[in-house]
Amino acid sequence: MTLKNLLGVSLDAVPPDPAAIGKLLAAAQRNLADAQLAGLSAENRFDAAYKAIMQLSMVALQANGYRTLTSKPGHHRTAIQTLTTSVGVAPAQVVVLDALRKQRNLSDYSGDLVPEAVAAECLSSAQALKVHVLAWLKAHRPDLLPG
Amino acid sequence: MHQPLASLLFPEYRRRVLGLLLLRPDEALHGREVARRTGLPAGTITRELTKLAEAGLLRREKRGNQQVYSANTSGPIFAELASILRKTSGLGDVLSAALAPLAGRVKLAFVFGSVARGEESAGSDIDVLLVGDAGFRDVVEALYPAQATLGREVNPKVFALDEFAAKARSEPFLRDVLSRPKIFLIGNAHDLEELAGRQP
Repeated sequence: MTLKNLLGVSLDAVPPDPAAIGKLLAAAQRNLADAQLAGLSAENRFDAAYKAIMQLSMVALQANGYRTLTSKPGHHRTAIQTLTTSVGVAPAQVVVLDALRKQRNLSDYSGDLVPEAVAAECLSSAQALKVHVLAWLKAHRPDLLPG
Repeated sequence: MHQPLASLLFPEYRRRVLGLLLLRPDEALHGREVARRTGLPAGTITRELTKLAEAGLLRREKRGNQQVYSANTSGPIFAELASILRKTSGLGDVLSAALAPLAGRVKLAFVFGSVARGEESAGSDIDVLLVGDAGFRDVVEALYPAQATLGREVNPKVFALDEFAAKARSEPFLRDVLSRPKIFLIGNAHDLEELAGRQP
């Protein structure tokens, strides 16, 4: 799969914009901080970490000149499953991120309880993704990094 | 390791064909498709399908110029047979084997939701609840290969022992899960009672 194959199917072309990427990175950082607030329920710590994962996935796509087509369903799925192609995240890690996405659907739409283990994994996966995406930007598109 | 009950009860080909069709009652498949999805030779499968259709366990219909086979859900032992397969080779055994490497860190694991109730549809996921100190990542990695074997996504819920004990009787989600049918993969109903605590 190349990202280009998904143009018009689940992705849209967008010129990489350092300001847009800077905003997403700052939002991801705020969400990572909130995901560590001990006073929040596991559910809301999970949600904050999951938002960071989604924002970092959007950074990964935008840095390659794409964004998800929000008119099509499943853009969270697209954003996560393209991480291997967009910034070289290991497939085994994408499996875990995709499992977290499904947990989010179940808690948002069915009221499933979010266990502590899931909130913990969501936070550590989000932190690892941040490190990975920043390293990728530094190596491949340093011009897009906030100054 | 427990006795592989399904292989004791049914010859292997029959077990795989019935596991495929009886646990997907809304799908009608051609012989070649059954062969592909069970990984068995097409010639043998055709004979097996004919036998099972003549016995009334499967329904045979013409679709275009092809014969397709599906579960005969109005047969007299459909529900019982599907239930046996769900607990053994069709699902339970596959998941138990996948979780075996985590056995020391998982005290209890069971399937809940539509699959455990026998109300699964073509797109239903398999919901699995686990109690122990295995991490979410360990469980996702252990269960991942089973998804391809079973042709369904597996959604694990992993609770720590004290977390489960504290919430099992009070959280609406867990109370709901506990009051409905389960297929045990690790541990049994007695272990569940112990871990959930005995208060009403």
